[in-house]
Amino acid sequence: MAQIIKIKANDGSDVEFYDEMKAQGGMKDVYFSPSKQYVVAFYRKPLKELKASEKDRLQNIVGIYREKIFSTNSDGSYWKNLFAWPEKTVEWNGKIGVVVPFYDKKFFFAGGPFDGKEKNGKWFASAKLRNKFLPADQKGTWLSHIHVCIKIARAMRRLHAAGLAHSDLSYNNVLVDPVSGNACIIDDDGLVVPGKYPPDVVGTPDFIAPEVMETKGLSLDDPKRKLPSRLTDLHALAVLIYMYLLYRHPLRGGKVWDLDPAKDEEMAMGAKALFVEHPTDKTNRVKINDLDKSQLPQGDPSKLPYTICGPYLKPLFDRAFIDGLHNPSARPTAQEWEDALVKTTDLVQPCQNPQCEAHWFVFDNTTKPRCPFCGKEYKGQLPVLNFYYAPSHGRFMSENYRLMVYDKQTLYMWHVNRNIGANEKTSAEDKKPAGDFHFHNGQWILINRRIPDMYEILADGNKKQISVGGFVPLTEGRKILLSAKDGGRLVIVQLVNN
Amino acid sequence: MRRLPVYILIDTSGSMQGEPIEAVKVGLADMVATLRQDPYALETVCISIITYDRDVKQIVPLTPLEDLQLPEITTPDSGPTHTGAALEMLCQMYSKDVNRGSSEQKGDWMPLLFLLTDGKPSDIQVYNSAIPKVKQLAFTNIVACAAGPKAETEPLKKLTDNVYSLDTMDSSTFRKFFQWISMQVQAGGKSMGITDNIELPQPPAEVNIVI
Repeated sequence: MAQIIKIKANDGSDVEFYDEMKAQGGMKDVYFSPSKQYVVAFYRKPLKELKASEKDRLQNIVGIYREKIFSTNSDGSYWKNLFAWPEKTVEWNGKIGVVVPFYDKKFFFAGGPFDGKEKNGKWFASAKLRNKFLPADQKGTWLSHIHVCIKIARAMRRLHAAGLAHSDLSYNNVLVDPVSGNACIIDDDGLVVPGKYPPDVVGTPDFIAPEVMETKGLSLDDPKRKLPSRLTDLHALAVLIYMYLLYRHPLRGGKVWDLDPAKDEEMAMGAKALFVEHPTDKTNRVKINDLDKSQLPQGDPSKLPYTICGPYLKPLFDRAFIDGLHNPSARPTAQEWEDALVKTTDLVQPCQNPQCEAHWFVFDNTTKPRCPFCGKEYKGQLPVLNFYYAPSHGRFMSENYRLMVYDKQTLYMWHVNRNIGANEKTSAEDKKPAGDFHFHNGQWILINRRIPDMYEILADGNKKQISVGGFVPLTEGRKILLSAKDGGRLVIVQLVNN
Repeated sequence: MRRLPVYILIDTSGSMQGEPIEAVKVGLADMVATLRQDPYALETVCISIITYDRDVKQIVPLTPLEDLQLPEITTPDSGPTHTGAALEMLCQMYSKDVNRGSSEQKGDWMPLLFLLTDGKPSDIQVYNSAIPKVKQLAFTNIVACAAGPKAETEPLKKLTDNVYSLDTMDSSTFRKFFQWISMQVQAGGKSMGITDNIELPQPPAEVNIVI
């Protein structure tokens, strides 16, 4: 058994670890603590070769930036699940290291061929890896992949709000667990503080923004040279979301830009980058002959186009990969991604095919909905709740927001009241279900569980209370005021019949 | 989808008999196991192994990582080391197996080549004449490794600038060397430095770079 090393951290606390390197990253060697609560990662570069600014950056990451995100606000503890953030620095044998909390066990494969390995995001973002190697019980559902994306977008939103940029967002730096719908951003010690600490890396292949790729040959002091920043994080975020939902890369099409594969790659990801699903420019369409059998059907955008992600995500993909691909300021922000992803979870329907691997799909707004993943058509009545809000008293406007109903689904407070959001600030009280939906005795109903002021708006304009514990049937055109409070939503029911 | 072909040339001459070849086998098996747990490698890597002593054999044709089965590797009791003939075979196999692509279709990534020897080429003329042919083929990287005290680095330097020497030929040294190869193979999916094109991980402590 390796010897236990005991040292003091920068904050005076005790740090213990086994004197045995357990893993190696690009720049660091990782040692485990006996308690399994944390790991210690030492930079291979000796302390004396480290620039003052590099050391300063680490001190700030474990210091003021950590406090800003994790301690200052009441939501601080929420973020501990989304980041493996360095907590303190240590020095040992002439090297500097960071103490990082051990990743939660859900981010490691248990059993199967990859037992004990970290759940690197790439496993879940590639059609070939999913179809050929990933055990079925590890794949999660399409809805749980949306949950994963929400967590990543939310974490990036928080980083950017703190004035930081990740600079190397990729599936190597995000652990994901699609089974529970969770994600954790790791390797947060390379963070970029604009104007203060420049990035060390240009990024990871697949995620490097076109403007960075295009100018990486220029010298560092050339004003045209583009380095990773908040805006390049937004490119990487869009690519990650596209890959987690569609299992292919948005820019890897059939177009050969150069016979030299390295130059071709540089152009395809840089100056010539072009969305494979560009609506008018068909130059870079995926060629089915280029694909391995194991990449089908997900690898073929004509079978599973990005529009299957629904009406909230489609315009964001357009902005990320068409308008904003070579125009960074047009890219959607992390907040916009988060909002669109959260709203998309309200549009999903369970697939009626029990064998369907996706399990869920986005309602396609047609009268004949079908699951795009397995092709199964939806049979039966499908209630759609269209949301309206009242900017001024008594006048309701459409919100371009709807909730798809399925059996045993839950109504939450963020559906009931538009002033309540589903995010890290949602109170414990607001997380409690407000009602639920059932297909009961041949009709769809909503049962009110705890809203004291829920009303049905009758045809004559009068209100009829739906008491707590009572129910209202969901029939075509029925109007339900979910709450009479400020921000309370009005629902108009639409029924799709099949 | 582009594959990343990896060619591994292994010296199986008589001097490798015993512990060295056993250590190489363990190292290879470890390397395959490691790469099979790496999503980037599983998606792209194909491996071919060529052994050379008096005879040159492609014991593993270019095979996707997931289908790879390591065959038994044997060594003769004695005899010459036909490194040159091995390079000749490499050139043939490269032309046959590697998809160079066209203006219409994407080909493979440029291959990686790892050559391991514990001696020197016996067929020096063939070796010298094969070198320009190898250099004409496009490789992302060629790494030559001189293992043990009798290995000569001079001939290897004609093949590539990346020549490493292993002081000993025991199992832990080879294991670390093959782990390092695994890292090289995986490097294509890793973060890229701000100045270097590809940031290669440092070789293990037991490997000495020959300058």
